[in-house]
Amino acid sequence: MRKHKGRRAFLSVCTVPALILFAVFMLYPTLNIFVISMYKWGGYSLNKEFVGFDNFVKLFSDAKFWQSFQNTVLLIVVVTVVTMTMALITAAILTREKLRFKGFFWVIFYIPNILSAVVIAAIFSAVYDPSRGLLNTLISFFTGGGTAPVLWLGDQKVVIYSIAIAMIWQAVGYYMVMYTAAMSSVPESMYEAASLEGAGRVRQFFTITIPLIWTNIRTTLTFFIISSINISFLLVRAMTSGGPDGSTEVFLSYMYKQAYTNSSYGYGMAIGVLVFLFSFALSGLVNLVTRRESIDL
Amino acid sequence: MKRFFTLLITLVLTVSLFASCGLRDDDKDADGKTVLKVAVLESAYGKKMWEDVAAAYEADHQDIKIELTAEKNLEDVIGSKMKSGDYPDVVHLATGREAGLTETMVRENSLADISDILDEKVFGEEKTVKEKLIDGFTDTAATHPYGDDKMYMAPMFYGPCGLFYNAALFAEKNWSLPTTWDEMWELGQKAEVENIALFTYPTAGYFDSLIYALLCETGGVDFYNDCMQYKEGVWDDKNAREALDIVARLASYTEPTTVANANNDNYLKNQQLVLDNKALFMPNGTWVSGEMADAPRAEGFKWGFMALPAIESDKDRYSYTYFEQIWVPENADHKDEAKDFIAYLYSDKAVKIFAESGAIQPIQGVSDMLEGENKLFYSIYDTGAKAVMGGFAATNPVEGVSMVDTLFGTVNSIVSGDKTVDEWQEAIGKASDSLRKALKK
Repeated sequence: MRKHKGRRAFLSVCTVPALILFAVFMLYPTLNIFVISMYKWGGYSLNKEFVGFDNFVKLFSDAKFWQSFQNTVLLIVVVTVVTMTMALITAAILTREKLRFKGFFWVIFYIPNILSAVVIAAIFSAVYDPSRGLLNTLISFFTGGGTAPVLWLGDQKVVIYSIAIAMIWQAVGYYMVMYTAAMSSVPESMYEAASLEGAGRVRQFFTITIPLIWTNIRTTLTFFIISSINISFLLVRAMTSGGPDGSTEVFLSYMYKQAYTNSSYGYGMAIGVLVFLFSFALSGLVNLVTRRESIDL
Repeated sequence: MKRFFTLLITLVLTVSLFASCGLRDDDKDADGKTVLKVAVLESAYGKKMWEDVAAAYEADHQDIKIELTAEKNLEDVIGSKMKSGDYPDVVHLATGREAGLTETMVRENSLADISDILDEKVFGEEKTVKEKLIDGFTDTAATHPYGDDKMYMAPMFYGPCGLFYNAALFAEKNWSLPTTWDEMWELGQKAEVENIALFTYPTAGYFDSLIYALLCETGGVDFYNDCMQYKEGVWDDKNAREALDIVARLASYTEPTTVANANNDNYLKNQQLVLDNKALFMPNGTWVSGEMADAPRAEGFKWGFMALPAIESDKDRYSYTYFEQIWVPENADHKDEAKDFIAYLYSDKAVKIFAESGAIQPIQGVSDMLEGENKLFYSIYDTGAKAVMGGFAATNPVEGVSMVDTLFGTVNSIVSGDKTVDEWQEAIGKASDSLRKALKK
């Protein structure tokens, strides 16, 4: 009994440093954001004025905030759907099909993931260049060069999708590797049985592969949605700075602009609080709608 | 015993963690010298000139040791320290940066009043700072943000802004430089025939100097000041509309790919258009020749620089003068020493060091020190153009409202046709109305 007690004490003492670090670097800053969002404060001085929920009230009538909200939601939906679909399909092809140079494809797909946002921005700036870029040169090759160049980063109706393409390119490889790992653990015998029953490849994909790696998909989906909010900020800052005229502004880039450029730190933190709640709610929602009975083999 | 040690180690680790966070610099060094913390932005001029000036100051002031921080991302370096109460004594950081640190300090009344620098005698010289400075630099909103007689920011490196072009191209085509906007549009037609666009711009932010000068041309200096003071109804005025219409007309002559590259990542491609003879004019500042020094260019390329064309031939032409500011935080530890250091920056010795790196201060007689392209750039006011200075008056922060985004950022939408001039004018009026209520009294 005494020994048991001592062990418990030892364990709790061991967790103390981690707990303190967690409290100092995670809990305290997070709670602090909630507190600061109730102040009118520029960020550097001692003049803080408590304004209650004023910042949130202003936020709801701020058209530019809603524009950044729309852009973020659009990016989350488009990028998630396309990335997940592409990652699943490529993973299935790489695990199920007899391909040569599999390792080579893996590396090629994975490389974008290890590049920093600045490098990705530089690559896509070159691809999207209106006069010498890869895309426009390709288009003019097919059209004979008579049409006006597409302004991938200048046309306000197109530019958000240009950002989406860069985000998809960056993420597909990583999730493909995750799914390949999951798919490799699906027993070969199931596919054999299915093919004996006459199920084609597509049928096998939907009735065997997807259900068996469903837990994996669920987890990655939540991760991905949260990380999209961050990655979109990095890419937007490096590629368009939120422009032209605010058309690619996302949650965090707008938050930065308000908190720093516009000296409204409190207001910026109010945006932070909404982003926090939004991500939380979205993860909860995704978790809820993707809930299935798990299949154990 | 074991348990005691475990506890002890945990405690030591935890305490050392906090201790390392809380360490603060002492303000005297080992020799008993006062440590003056000087934080400067490392801009295109480089940081060597600052190191040299700091060394010269230390040589002349044996009791002071300068701790120099020169960084390209100065806001990131000093910003977090300032949040925790550790302030530099002198900061050289202009307004108009994305991180908005200087603006925030102004809006939060966190700058020290440094008016007495003006009457201080420059080290080793007979003249006061005020006598050495060129007139007009110390009575603008950029030095006196609250509109009273107190100076909170001192003027440092300055440069005229205007339209840059390839002088060799004009000579080759035998085109004369437009002196009025009507001539500008005629030139636009002529250039179009040759497949050259009349206009391009690096990013929409560069329209600040152009629109400020344009407001002076359409409505005069008083009207410009009314705009800067957010006076009621000033943006409904016909002079304001005329300025916006000129920008919209320029937009229609803008090189078609400009807006796609008008961001921080790609703006050099727009500047390159002028070097490649694909566009005739761009609004810019004197730093552009240095910024594009290594870029390829059309054969025989020669920088040309002019003020904005006039509204009519008998009216004035204007060029906006941009200058960087230096200031002292209200919470700095050594405000008096800081002011003394700033006064020293106007000494002949310091001015010379700065000028060697191309950084020109608004000092009487500085034009004699200029060489090469700088001589052309800085002579713009000698050839009849009038100078505009300052900018929008300081306000308390208004959440979600930015005059810079509304007035300049919208130009991208005017060029791409996503917004009309009417919408633009209305939005500026609205922003001006909200900011007027927040004006610093």
